Amino acid sequence: MSEQRNYFEIFGLKPGFSVDREALAGRYRELQREFHPDKYAARSDREQRLALQYAARINEAYNTLREPVARAGYLLELAGVEISPEQTTADAEFLMQQMMLRERLEEVRSESDPGAALEALEAETSGLFSAEQEKFAQLFAGGELERAKDSLLKLQFLRKLQHQVEELEEDLLGDY
Amino acid sequence: MALLQISEPGQTPEPHQRKRAVGIDLGTTNSLVATVRSGSAEAIEAEGDSVILPSAVHYSADGAVTVGAAARERAGADPYNTMLSIKRFMGRGIGDVKSFGEQLPYRFVQSADEATKGGMVAIETDSGPVNPVQVSAEILKVLAERGRAALGGELDGAVITVPAYFDDAQRQATKDAAQLAGLHVLRLLNEPTAAAVAYGLDQGEEGVIAVYDLGGGTFDISILRLSRGVFEVLSTGGDSALGGDDFDRAIAGWIADQAGLGTDHDVIAQRALLDRACVAKEALAERESVAVEYGDWHGVLDREGMAALLDPMIDKTLRACKRALRDAGVAAEEVKEVVLVGGSTRTLRVRERVESFFGRAPHADIDPDQVVAIGAALQADVLVGNKSSDDLLLLDVIPLSLGIETMGGLTEKLIARNTTIPVAKAQEFTTFKDGQTAMAIHVVQGERELVQDCRSLARFELRGIPPMTAGAAHIRVTFQVDADGLLSVTAMEKSSGVSADITVKPSYGLEDADITRMLQDSYTHAEEDVAARAVREARVEAERTLEALLVALQENGAELLDEGELNELEKAMEALRLAHNGGDADEIRRRIETLNDVSGPFAARRMDASIKRAMQGHTLDEFDQ
Repeated sequence: MSEQRNYFEIFGLKPGFSVDREALAGRYRELQREFHPDKYAARSDREQRLALQYAARINEAYNTLREPVARAGYLLELAGVEISPEQTTADAEFLMQQMMLRERLEEVRSESDPGAALEALEAETSGLFSAEQEKFAQLFAGGELERAKDSLLKLQFLRKLQHQVEELEEDLLGDY
Repeated sequence: MALLQISEPGQTPEPHQRKRAVGIDLGTTNSLVATVRSGSAEAIEAEGDSVILPSAVHYSADGAVTVGAAARERAGADPYNTMLSIKRFMGRGIGDVKSFGEQLPYRFVQSADEATKGGMVAIETDSGPVNPVQVSAEILKVLAERGRAALGGELDGAVITVPAYFDDAQRQATKDAAQLAGLHVLRLLNEPTAAAVAYGLDQGEEGVIAVYDLGGGTFDISILRLSRGVFEVLSTGGDSALGGDDFDRAIAGWIADQAGLGTDHDVIAQRALLDRACVAKEALAERESVAVEYGDWHGVLDREGMAALLDPMIDKTLRACKRALRDAGVAAEEVKEVVLVGGSTRTLRVRERVESFFGRAPHADIDPDQVVAIGAALQADVLVGNKSSDDLLLLDVIPLSLGIETMGGLTEKLIARNTTIPVAKAQEFTTFKDGQTAMAIHVVQGERELVQDCRSLARFELRGIPPMTAGAAHIRVTFQVDADGLLSVTAMEKSSGVSADITVKPSYGLEDADITRMLQDSYTHAEEDVAARAVREARVEAERTLEALLVALQENGAELLDEGELNELEKAMEALRLAHNGGDADEIRRRIETLNDVSGPFAARRMDASIKRAMQGHTLDEFDQ
């Protein structure tokens, strides 16, 4: 089938880091209206199975394209850049900053106002994430793939930190 | 015009004839069935009876089975043989049942073959052991019969609802029960999604909807986005051990405390306290305060006092709401509609708190006991082909993450919770030793890091891997979750292209052989025999297959097939029609298989044609400008 079509092609989009989220969501609904297994409930077993596979692929494509870190990784993959899970950035300054942010995260609980401290940290992390996204977009558009890869590794770091902030927020909420 | 000849014999029903489809809410306490008639969905009542069927099944020593209110009435006098709340045991093992931590009147057993694989619990009754799938099937049979009586014939299909948090084993058990009851399952539908459908379709809503579902023993929250008939579930969450029963327990505890009873009282006293608690809770929906008495003690409980007792539990549900909103990436202010489902949402304090949390008054116009079945009936009507499917599409999610066991008893997540289904994920494995031809994969469901804290779903054994040196074989294992939320696994060795043979050992499920045996057992007391039913089911399947193909041929058979292919297809169809008229179930099945094989390439070409059509007008050029 169209296993060969890449995710951007499935959505009729030009490959690139910047994606119109509204257009993506609209096109997603259009495609699922066509291929969701529910549309094939009265069809033959074979067609039902094919629809299931294609709908799963549309979902996978959508999840990859709408999420910035996944999208960046996919773009690099399409460009032939390999990323192994063990790889990490060598940018000492960035790593130092990460360490400090993580220390602050660990200290949130002992602050006099943990909620406010966490909120500040969340805002800072989000700011760093947005800035890094822009950097990735520029590097990738400029064909500087190795540097774009380093930028992606940083995005992964920051995303993980964001998750940790969220988890702590949940814990703090659970305490009251 | 070869196509006209194909449809001539008329053994299959007219493609555009209205189909008989129902939606079934298979509940813990009560169940009901609904259908769409003259354009609107309504619950079906038994003759001169209510629409509600208590989810109670009684087994007598003579093998007689009673379902519904009559069965529930026997619970007091004959608790061992009266199955109540059986839904809680679906897809559960004996260890789970023990950990429910309450006194259950049942004699749980584990049969010899189940002991080796964990297995689902069974309950000893005077007519022999029964498992939760069989008990649920008895309830479904009664509901199916109501549907047949109301619609005047054999049902073409059913949508059955399950709680959103149901894991794979619980879903599979529900589907098995339907199969045992002789129902063709069109889809397993999540209860909150069904409720949203019931409201959304009636009112033509757009925007974000929150469904707050508080039942007797469980809480569910789902956040959905509705856009031009597409219901996209953004997130779901909840607590499978929190519900209105906990409200009763909290109030009962207060009464015991006020009456100076202490905490240590027998089962009978506890039952009496719970009854008084429940009466007081319901009275406070109407009045400001209610008199309560127990023994010599007389007291008053007012709304404020009850609120103080219930708030800690309601807080818990609201925290789950907060988490669901965050998972959905939606702020509470963005929620346009809040829908209440479940009997426990009748409690005033719950409504107040939900209203203040979301900042808007919740909907409860549709009877909270019926709303789920009504939504299911609406979807069944679409799936069976009565209503254009352009009007309604449900995009649901997997409620719990799926993972596999790795070294050291850790889980590696493959599919994260709240991922839209259907979904497939491939993972590569390699061999450990030279010449290794088999390996085992343990699949678990849950959010925790340690395997022991997650739910074991199944162990898959791959066999037939071509012998190679260690690490040379690359086995690509694909985990697929279908639109019912059910997992299936396929495996292939990449370099040789050999597909590995997989055997599944469900941790808490039933194997196909079990289902067949149960089906046979169920006929010891029934009029219809196994063979007759097999023929009937094979015929229905044959009709479905022929009809689907006829529609497909009329659509684009001439376009996509050459004359030779068309002839071959016609022959296979004719052979199936002949088998259909005969009375041999195996022969019908064989002919269906053959026809499926012959029409396989046609199905693939049709799919490709659909893909091409969907891509038209969305070429890359359009975006270049």
